[in-house]
Amino acid sequence: MSLLSVKGISKRFGGLTAVDDVSFEVFEGTIKALIGPNGAGKSTLFNLLTGFERPDAGSVAFGGAPLAGKRPHEIVRAGMARTFQNTQLFEEMTATENVLVGMHTTLRTGLMAGALRLPWTRAEERRAIERSAHLLRLVGAQEYADSYAADIPHGVRRLLEIARALATSPRLLLLDEPAAGLNNAETRTLASSLRRIRDDGVTLLVVEHDMGLVMDVSEEIIVLDRGCKIAEGPPLLIQKDAAVIEAYLGEEDVSA
Amino acid sequence: MTGSWMRRIGGFALPLAACCLLAAVPLITNDRYLFKVLTFVGLNVIVVAGLALLFGFAGQISLGHAAFVGIGAYTCGYLTAVAGVPWPIAVLAGSVLAAFGGLLLAVPSLRLKGHYLAMATLGFNEIMSVLFVELRSITGGNDGLRGIPFASIGAWKIDTPSGNYLLVWAVAVVVLVLVGNVIRTRPGRAMRALHGSELGAMASGVDTRGLKIQVFALSAGLAGLAGALYASAVGFISPSTFSLEFSVLLIAMVVVGGTGSLAGPVTACVLLTLLPYADALIPGLSKDAVAVLQDWEADISGFAMILVLLFAPGGVAGLVRRAAAARRTSVREAA
Repeated sequence: MSLLSVKGISKRFGGLTAVDDVSFEVFEGTIKALIGPNGAGKSTLFNLLTGFERPDAGSVAFGGAPLAGKRPHEIVRAGMARTFQNTQLFEEMTATENVLVGMHTTLRTGLMAGALRLPWTRAEERRAIERSAHLLRLVGAQEYADSYAADIPHGVRRLLEIARALATSPRLLLLDEPAAGLNNAETRTLASSLRRIRDDGVTLLVVEHDMGLVMDVSEEIIVLDRGCKIAEGPPLLIQKDAAVIEAYLGEEDVSA
Repeated sequence: MTGSWMRRIGGFALPLAACCLLAAVPLITNDRYLFKVLTFVGLNVIVVAGLALLFGFAGQISLGHAAFVGIGAYTCGYLTAVAGVPWPIAVLAGSVLAAFGGLLLAVPSLRLKGHYLAMATLGFNEIMSVLFVELRSITGGNDGLRGIPFASIGAWKIDTPSGNYLLVWAVAVVVLVLVGNVIRTRPGRAMRALHGSELGAMASGVDTRGLKIQVFALSAGLAGLAGALYASAVGFISPSTFSLEFSVLLIAMVVVGGTGSLAGPVTACVLLTLLPYADALIPGLSKDAVAVLQDWEADISGFAMILVLLFAPGGVAGLVRRAAAARRTSVREAA
């Protein structure tokens, strides 16, 4: 079943068309990769899908419902979460607290109930802390649970951001370059984490430059170049696609 | 081990001891001047608790909080002195009207950040200062508003300095407990998240616009509450009290005490408020020394703020937190 359906989406910044008439589908329970050279429009596409930017044309449907005009927090509530290319953690909060913020839409404690510390809010808080411990274990960041985000090493910061996104209980998780800055061992751990997340029932759309990881985990790949979709298909076909090779290596390399 | 023990003292025993001490003051002394000074401290604590929430936790600056105190004070003063409205209703009206002012000021905060928001709120304070003078029929203009009756609930009148002191501090303690609870739960975490990374907060499902409006209104409402209590405790209010200078002093208290902390700003608030009235606590202090403190009050708080910004950007509370974290790490490494 198609979970995310993107039809003819476009975004212009002044004279530059960052995303140009892109259409694709993401099917439930799969890992789909989004690749392309720098400046291809991958991050802009993420921003369009998650409500951080408004498209100039086209439409996005999530779980059958249109997302037009929805603001980021409403899209999170609908079940789509994301991470950022430049991690957006809460530096002065601990890893556990970062994950707890991710549960904002699922927890119910408001200003009044929180100020009065009603008994049910304490029970809710206890359950939330248990769940955050579970999520930190899932991504392999449990040993930093009580560290401030500012003090956490680079590779783990990306994992923490994934844990925070998972805390929103998403159906679809958008990851923007999760392997950037990771070493080989960390990347392998990430790959198995991604599979585990998918097996838990979360669909994944991943922007990634690490081709080893992309070919390893994704069932389908979509390729952007200068804002346009130039190819879509399973990893083996994409590796042989002439347009993709040209986009990545340039024409001379192909004719040589 | 020591960490949790110390935290228990900081989180429970210390505040409890402070409450006992506050409640005991009327039993020890009946110095009217001391009560008046401590009443001012309590009022400022209420304002600073709200401002710590807005600036220290949510990261939204306001250089207009004195104006909210003024709105609360004039509303309560006018309603009780001129319109004859019962005191509890007048206090409520003062808080609500100030909160509404906060709502209006929240609108620019949705578009403005940092220096620009500071300028907008500063402008708001100046506009309100002019209005406090020019709306003569309500505020009494530069002469101020006189004859504001004491707090009273039904036939029970709180008309002694010690009574007002206890009233203000009872409210302050309740406010501190409620705000202290808020910062530890979901809404408080959302505020700190907004401060940390607005994009990250949005991606976590926080309605950042709604949150800014909420926290601005709440913070302004607390300032209005303090203003309303001030009007009935003092009986006379004039525009100069609610000037930009007071707003800056309030921000200084939060900055010196530390962002992301409640105990820090409250401590700074107590110390900086007491500074010009040091003679109330230290009986032997000479008049000249007090005069020096009063003349240099603004300079001292300004200097403290500069020092903190240069050497401890997280404020005094930030230093304490860092030290605790460093000790935790060294303990872990040793183990």
